[in-house]
Amino acid sequence: MKKLGIGCAVLGVLGLIALIVVAVAGGSYNRLVRLSQGVDKQWAQVQNVYQRRADLVPNLVATVSGAANFEKSTLTEITAARASVGQVKVDPNSAPADPAKLAEFDHAQSQLSSALSRLLVVVERYPELKANANFQTLQAQLEGTENRISVERGRFNEAVQAYNTAIKSFPAALYAGMFGFRERPYFTATPGAETPPKVQFDFGKASPAPPAEKQ
Amino acid sequence: MANHTTACAKWTASFTLRYLLLAERWEILRGAMQGSGVKRRERHAPFAGSLLCAILLCACGWPALAAEVMPPTPRQYFNDYSGVVSPAVVAQLNQTLEQFERDTSSQILVAVFPKMESDSSIEDYTVRVAQAWKVGQKGKDNGAVLFVFIQDRKMFLQVGYGLEGPLPDALAKQIIENEIKPRFKNGDYDGGLSAGVAAILAATKGEYKGTGSTADDGGAGQGTSASVLKSLVIGLFILFIIISMFRRRSSAFLGGWLLGSGGFSSGGGGGGFSGGGGFSGGGGSFGGGGAGGSW
Repeated sequence: MKKLGIGCAVLGVLGLIALIVVAVAGGSYNRLVRLSQGVDKQWAQVQNVYQRRADLVPNLVATVSGAANFEKSTLTEITAARASVGQVKVDPNSAPADPAKLAEFDHAQSQLSSALSRLLVVVERYPELKANANFQTLQAQLEGTENRISVERGRFNEAVQAYNTAIKSFPAALYAGMFGFRERPYFTATPGAETPPKVQFDFGKASPAPPAEKQ
Repeated sequence: MANHTTACAKWTASFTLRYLLLAERWEILRGAMQGSGVKRRERHAPFAGSLLCAILLCACGWPALAAEVMPPTPRQYFNDYSGVVSPAVVAQLNQTLEQFERDTSSQILVAVFPKMESDSSIEDYTVRVAQAWKVGQKGKDNGAVLFVFIQDRKMFLQVGYGLEGPLPDALAKQIIENEIKPRFKNGDYDGGLSAGVAAILAATKGEYKGTGSTADDGGAGQGTSASVLKSLVIGLFILFIIISMFRRRSSAFLGGWLLGSGGFSSGGGGGGFSGGGGFSGGGGSFGGGGAGGSW
């Protein structure tokens, strides 16, 4: 009778321990799921703002090419960069797991960034275009979009950092791989990428140098 | 690599901020350092530990962030920290903006600083400040903040996600260029800010419906429910101690420790923010929309 009592107690304690382990593991698993979805959600935001910029390009090109003898090479460059951005196929709903894929996406976008910032520099030489209300609207939109891109990229990196830290910490590190939680790549920023491309008022130089900032 | 450093610095910044910019936390720091006895130190051990971490992180991250100052959340809608706006205009715009939140739930803030205390670009700095202030209602993200830096002769209108529709970048730019800038150039800060605020309100008026109260009014209600919860928790602790006193002496120590930390956290978290007629962030979010300009 006494032995049965002890047995029951031991069983009870073991059961309690098992319950605690399950609860802890379950909690940490749920946390990984939440963080992973946070990364995907932020990726969708990144896609949104880049798409917003891509949508501005046709309008911008149309407005600028209307200006008298605007140099064609800048416009060709933008159109080409816009096309290559469209060719990079990424899943809009889930953040890329492959660093090479993210790098490819980032490279295409940075081409468009630098082409656009060159355009803004070139426009400085066309006062009547700069005074054009339609162009001013587009320029404000473009600047706002660049700000949004830098904000959402920064938040994406923060979300990825939180997620990567979580899958590498105990106890998630023990099972994260088994359930398919893999490390996600960051946007690698070139120095100064936090600041959007700026218009440089530099008339002294013979040819407008491309701005130092690149995305 | 550079990116990693920035991310690190950002994280350190938020961490440091959380611990060091709050006056209450300074109190803790002092308490932990000058703790009057071993017993007291034991009680605060986990907090002292996290504080130590914060100090270490702060020491590592400080040189990189030396120039950045994150202003605390303002208590008013219209905040002139540089004293260039006449008191009558300040009072009037304050009232207008508070009434605007009651009518439309949108939170529009103005902050006039003497100088921008950051090495970042104005758009990057102000979006982080606006985000930290949580301007706009949660879920609606209908906040906007007009930042003005007098000595830099720069301004930026940050627009929350939910107001990007009625107040797109191009309109924000127009308000700055046409309403504010010409008046600022003449040194007419009263007129520029009045006209700017009027234009922002006109643009965002129809977008959301108000509830007749502000987030600050609502915050007072939350405060009472939070304090009820707090006292409930403390009550449970006390009950727990009484029970354990009767059962075993050793567990009474544990009870005492728990009570110590319980009372402690209630002291730290219970910031009395329920002053009548001020601003309280509703939990809105910003994505970098808006426009800036210099005069």
